[in-house]
Amino acid sequence: MTMMQASGRRPSRISAGTIGIYAFLLIAAVFFLLPAWIMLMTSLKPMEEIRLGNILMWPNAVTFEPWIRAWSEACTGLDCRGVSVGFWNSVRILIPSLILSIAAGAVTGYALSFWRVRGANVMFGLLLLGAFIPYQVFLYPLVRIFAVTGIYNSFACIVLVHVIFGLPIMTLLFRNYYASLPVELFKAARVDGGGFWSIFIRIILPMSTPILIVATILQVTGIWNDFLFGLTFAGRDNLPMTVQLNNIVSSRQGESQYNTEMAATILTAMIPLAVYFISGRWFVRGIASGAVKG
Amino acid sequence: MDSQITNAGRPRFRNLAAVIALIPATAAVVVVYIGCMLWTVRLSFTSSKLLPIFDWVGLSQYSRLFLNERFSVAVENIVIFGVLFIAGCLILGFLLAVFIDQKVRGEAVFRTIFLYPYAMSFVVTGLAWQWFLNPTHGVQKLGRDLGFENFTFNWLVTQDMVIYTIVIAAIWQGSGLVMCILLAGLRGVDESLWKAARVDGIPAWRYYLFIVLPLLGPMIVTAVVLLSISVVKLYDLVVAMTKGGPGIASDVPAKFVMDHFFERNNVGLATAAATMMLIAVASILAPWLYQTYIRPAGRVA
Amino acid sequence: MNTITRFICTATFAFVLPTAGQAQEIKAEVLHWWTSGGEAAAIAEMANAFKAEGGEWIDTAIANGEQARTAGINRIVGGNPPTVMQFNTGAQFHEVVDNGMLNPIEDVASANNWREVLPEVLIEATNRNGEFYAVPVNIHGQNWLWYNVEAFKKAGVEPPKDFDELIAAAPKLKEAGFIPLAHGGQNWQDHLLFDAVVVAKAGKEIFKNIYLTTDGEALNSPDFRSAIETFAALRELTDEGSPGRSWNDSTNLVITGKGATQLMGDWAKGEFIAAGKTIGTDYGCTVMPNGYIMGGDVCVFPKVDDEEQKAAQSKLAELMLSQDVQLAFNKKKGSVPARVDLDVSSMDECAQQGMTALKDPEQQVGSINYFASSDLTGATRDVITQFWATPSMTADEFIEKFASAVKSAS
Repeated sequence: MTMMQASGRRPSRISAGTIGIYAFLLIAAVFFLLPAWIMLMTSLKPMEEIRLGNILMWPNAVTFEPWIRAWSEACTGLDCRGVSVGFWNSVRILIPSLILSIAAGAVTGYALSFWRVRGANVMFGLLLLGAFIPYQVFLYPLVRIFAVTGIYNSFACIVLVHVIFGLPIMTLLFRNYYASLPVELFKAARVDGGGFWSIFIRIILPMSTPILIVATILQVTGIWNDFLFGLTFAGRDNLPMTVQLNNIVSSRQGESQYNTEMAATILTAMIPLAVYFISGRWFVRGIASGAVKG
Repeated sequence: MDSQITNAGRPRFRNLAAVIALIPATAAVVVVYIGCMLWTVRLSFTSSKLLPIFDWVGLSQYSRLFLNERFSVAVENIVIFGVLFIAGCLILGFLLAVFIDQKVRGEAVFRTIFLYPYAMSFVVTGLAWQWFLNPTHGVQKLGRDLGFENFTFNWLVTQDMVIYTIVIAAIWQGSGLVMCILLAGLRGVDESLWKAARVDGIPAWRYYLFIVLPLLGPMIVTAVVLLSISVVKLYDLVVAMTKGGPGIASDVPAKFVMDHFFERNNVGLATAAATMMLIAVASILAPWLYQTYIRPAGRVA
Repeated sequence: MNTITRFICTATFAFVLPTAGQAQEIKAEVLHWWTSGGEAAAIAEMANAFKAEGGEWIDTAIANGEQARTAGINRIVGGNPPTVMQFNTGAQFHEVVDNGMLNPIEDVASANNWREVLPEVLIEATNRNGEFYAVPVNIHGQNWLWYNVEAFKKAGVEPPKDFDELIAAAPKLKEAGFIPLAHGGQNWQDHLLFDAVVVAKAGKEIFKNIYLTTDGEALNSPDFRSAIETFAALRELTDEGSPGRSWNDSTNLVITGKGATQLMGDWAKGEFIAAGKTIGTDYGCTVMPNGYIMGGDVCVFPKVDDEEQKAAQSKLAELMLSQDVQLAFNKKKGSVPARVDLDVSSMDECAQQGMTALKDPEQQVGSINYFASSDLTGATRDVITQFWATPSMTADEFIEKFASAVKSAS
């Protein structure tokens, strides 16, 4: 107990408690860093060295060849163009999905918080419920609908799916944000005779920067990390990076090139990690405000 | 999460453009969320195999489902996973938050380290951990190379233990999130409380456990909700880490459904399983959603 | 088989078809999942043959059979079908036929005497209601035991001819530092091994009956029980890294001399060849006893109304099973030709061994896909993989679970 008592909110000198705190944090840090460290080390070693074991060790002979191979030569089936294909697919999917889902969420959230539309609350409740329901419930009918309309396994299909399933969280995010804005501004604009769209564009949108940043962070991470939708709806020409990564790792030819696989894995994690490191506190805020996202 | 902020009491205006603006969202709700859901439920009462047909076979897909050992393994797994994952994330996340809150040096560095896994996809997490835990080249080999000849850590390939490896990987990915949420909560706790506790001679652990923890209630609820959603959706991680094996030991409902839709061409059974997932989730969530979002809207202040 | 008639037939078509083709270029879109190195080279043979006849081949390759089939079926449902689509040989496409979504190719079949050149089980698998609905393009032997020659020399034992010999050789192989059976513990691989053991120990009748009958007679036969025991005993022959390992990584263990044997289909041959290994001196192949378990692929022809498309379908159907294409395609693919009337002396040793087995009707055993729906295959696969991964499960428990899986899916 004495040890614990020395801790608390303001440890002023180095005590057993302080050491305990740092020891715990350091052990935890090792736990969180270990898998990434091993991935990184493996990706920098030639295969001969990997077979020897020592997964923790710094490579004897650092090689970047696995990275080059992973990026531009690794095979999925006959296609040996590396994860770069998936990377660009993911980028192509990400940009329109991001813009459209944020636009849809912002407009819906705006309409819900400032305007009175009959049944809007019910609609919103159902939309939220939809956010929690396992996607497997919708998947098969969606496949059939897309098949009949002829856009199944296309670029439009995967973008549409991202927009649809991004809608609940985006709407919630914007609705809550707009609900916290001072309503007087809006009233004044109404008195001036502003219409639905003109108020949105002139008054509301310029005030939305913080929530737009949060929404972007959430959606970039979410869409980039998606696996299920890409697998089911994207079609072979648009497979996102996560799906391609999994295909490369479970590729059916030759001996598994663990170094290349690990390099490909790290490459796949790059974009969301970059978002995370660059956005810093915004990322945290995104998590906190978009807390409903799965 | 600003769930408390509702529209009650705000003046709102009727406008045709607003109605039009809500059409896309309404269409998504009606066609996808409701339409597809009902379609799935309806299909679960048919004998559909490769293609959907609309006959009526009553509950026979469900009775088959309940007799299916793989499905019961999947359900059992998701329960084990759910409980351990949520509990694990809460405990580890809480500890991390409390320890970080001791005005430690390099707080930002620690926070960054604890949260970065959350930015990674489950596929990446799964691949990293299956490499790390693989007995032939992962941590077990490491232990043996270090001279511990009998060191064994083969959970990944052991039927009874494999689900725990998935729990570990998921906790690794998700506990930073809990830390993040709870840390925000801790920062909101009034400092005078701590001073008062010190005056009363209450030890730190009791202060955190019995005084601070109850204050964090809403944050914990948020964290639990968030974590529960990833429990239900658990799929990518299993695919990347174990593909459901060894045998059927690490199967989960979402994977069961996917396999039966696309590999087994058994739409009837797959939709029955999906409907069971739906029922499970709805029965947990409906009261919560009602409480949080729908009821307050009607209770005009 | 009347060689002269056949000669005339072939000669006639060789003469007639090119002129017909040159008159007008016909387009055909072929949807398939032959995407690995050898497979793609094989399908290129078909494409070239079609081009040589003046056709335009539009190649739609989708890696992963499951995804390719889903995509194809959705296109058929959506009214935009490919001209030709690949399936695995067997019951997989029967439901598509039953929904009236495929064109029969009976005309081509009878004009070319397919009923006389194809193995009986293959005719059964490609016919529905007495009509041909699919062209078999290859036969993949599924019960090959691949072994490392060096490993057996070092261990001082003869390469096994059946599972009992393999089990008997295991202690010596282990002693010499080899994994006796480099098995990849994924559900389909477990199933492949199981079926090979059942055919070897209980024969092809019981093999078929355990899946297709529900009276329990086959399941409770002593032969099947001994098959289960053998299957269970094989668990001891694998290594700790086995669960979840992909088949090619397991083959690689045999290639690099860590593993002594692997039971795998003849597609494994490509891995040995790619690694620069020579048959006989580096590795060997043996068909496990009591029959050659035949898997393989077929092509089906989605219903189209356009006359030109129909003509393209007929032409492709014919071409795909023609002697030259069969030989060229299967050499690249690593499988054996679907027709048994070919001179295979130009093929490798394993293929010839397979072909010899195939010519004997007694040895022709259709794989589970030939007669079981994907539902039934999947349901039993879950039980088999669970049994393989659960050493504590008894034979009785297994039989009980297996019976209930068969019942639920039929």
